[in-house]
Amino acid sequence: MKIICLAKFIPDVDHFVYDYERNVLVRENMDLVLNPDDACALAYALALKKNRQDVEVEVLSMAPLSLLPNLKELLRLGADRGVLISDAFFSGSDTYATSCIIARYLADAQYDVILSGTHALDGDTEHVPVQVAELLGLDHMAYIVRFDDDSFLNGTCVFESEFDNANARFRVRLPCVLGVLAESRYKLPFVRYENLDLNVDDRVTVVTNEELGFSHEEVGIAGSLTKVASTWQPQMKKKEQVIVGNDDEGIETVFQFLKKEGYMP
Amino acid sequence: MKKALVYIENGYEAAAIDLLEVVRQVGQNCAFETCALCLGGNGTAPEGYFDRVIRVVQPSPEWHDVLSITNAIEELHERDDFDCIVILATPMGRLLAPRLAMRLRVGLVADVTDIRLQDGEALMVRPAFDGKILAGIVSTGSKPLMMSVRPGVFSYKGARDKATDKADFIPMRASPRQVELLEATKKKTFSDIRDCEVLISGGGGIIKGFDQIQPLADELRGMVSASRRAVDNQIAPRSIQVGQSGKMVSPKLYLALGIHGSMQHFEGLRDVKHIVCANTDRYAPICSQADIVVEGDALEFVNRLLARIRRGKESKG
Repeated sequence: MKIICLAKFIPDVDHFVYDYERNVLVRENMDLVLNPDDACALAYALALKKNRQDVEVEVLSMAPLSLLPNLKELLRLGADRGVLISDAFFSGSDTYATSCIIARYLADAQYDVILSGTHALDGDTEHVPVQVAELLGLDHMAYIVRFDDDSFLNGTCVFESEFDNANARFRVRLPCVLGVLAESRYKLPFVRYENLDLNVDDRVTVVTNEELGFSHEEVGIAGSLTKVASTWQPQMKKKEQVIVGNDDEGIETVFQFLKKEGYMP
Repeated sequence: MKKALVYIENGYEAAAIDLLEVVRQVGQNCAFETCALCLGGNGTAPEGYFDRVIRVVQPSPEWHDVLSITNAIEELHERDDFDCIVILATPMGRLLAPRLAMRLRVGLVADVTDIRLQDGEALMVRPAFDGKILAGIVSTGSKPLMMSVRPGVFSYKGARDKATDKADFIPMRASPRQVELLEATKKKTFSDIRDCEVLISGGGGIIKGFDQIQPLADELRGMVSASRRAVDNQIAPRSIQVGQSGKMVSPKLYLALGIHGSMQHFEGLRDVKHIVCANTDRYAPICSQADIVVEGDALEFVNRLLARIRRGKESKG
């Protein structure tokens, strides 16, 4: 049984660099972390692998080559194989073009299920896993907070998803694409001491456009169907306000304000 | 005449009708014929608001069957050739919109918060990169223009007395259903921060004492909400998150505790009457919008204010 986990490394949103001339995010040489929802999906796959000998876990990411060390770290945690789709040719791709690139790799890959996160913290669009599923002709469900213990045993998977005002249990036939929520609390293990410097080079593959064979018009900025036409800094009107200290006088000001405006029961 | 389609998800009828405001703004130069797509079942058809209401029947896809809903809309689009499709970004809407966009091979802009017209073309506006910038995005491919919009972002005040043409639609291409619903449990005692008039909201500056906000919320008969920073740190559930990637709220009083106030956060605050904030940084963006700024540690403020309120009650009692 083979699980492919989609992993997105996201910029630390406090320290992003934006290229205002090209209107794209500069992803080279950034400090990036694994998207929390994706981390939970991988954590679940690794936990399953620990309990069942037939489980093989591949981590798939699309990122600049500078992210190769981050991907290798995930192999030291227990993933069997890592694939990094990386080519400067793909730079500037929107979610549509990105989905096309990832799906083309997956079209020739072997898997029983594809796991991903539900939300991505940086863009928060949730597009890519859904669009990859559509391109592969697979069904998809997300917001997963818990998998049943006997999932993946007989070609099906039973899981619980959390929505705004309801929880729902679903059964789905494999193969499919499933999105996990960070609320699932599946936690990545720590690297075992003896694996800290483990050489995993022979288990990592970098896939470029040489293998995928896209033309210039299909990917990158040219292949994207959405384009940032302009950006501007948000302007806000300043409100007249009272500034007080966190002392008796300040507290009294707040208290009297709440009382005057009718907020005190 | 250009045509716009709005997907009406059962249980979200009112919020989906508000998407007509998006359609109105996109069509400022040339009004759209509006069409609502509903699934069969218990949902009420939004008559009077749309020019046409189309109900998918025989069989009507279940709410979670995104693949069949996508198939139905694709077939309808082949027949009616829409120029614009707007989908409410509910949890299921967020799964439907990208699948449909990929099926139709068109771009999709998620969580649009504003529409601007530039040289006659609609710019779909959304905050980007933690709200440090606003981005105006255009669709470069063929039509339809597709976007998703969170509930409560736009509000429709237009005509509701249209002569609505009602029709059923029977999709010809059924697909075998893969995702099977076993059971659904409504969350009990579910209360929504969107319905509350007083919100006591915690952010990155009060992560250590987040659980101490609740007593203050109880005293003020309000609810606890959170900024994204608090949710990212897993000390608050996503269901109480305020902001572009959370919920749009309109309380009378918003007490912001240790919240920086990114653009995305402000996107979640609609028509708030009063803002009081406690922050160690009086120049944090949230402070510029507050009636009162308490400069200092948010947790300390909570405890002091709580003590003052209780003292007030004692002296009264």
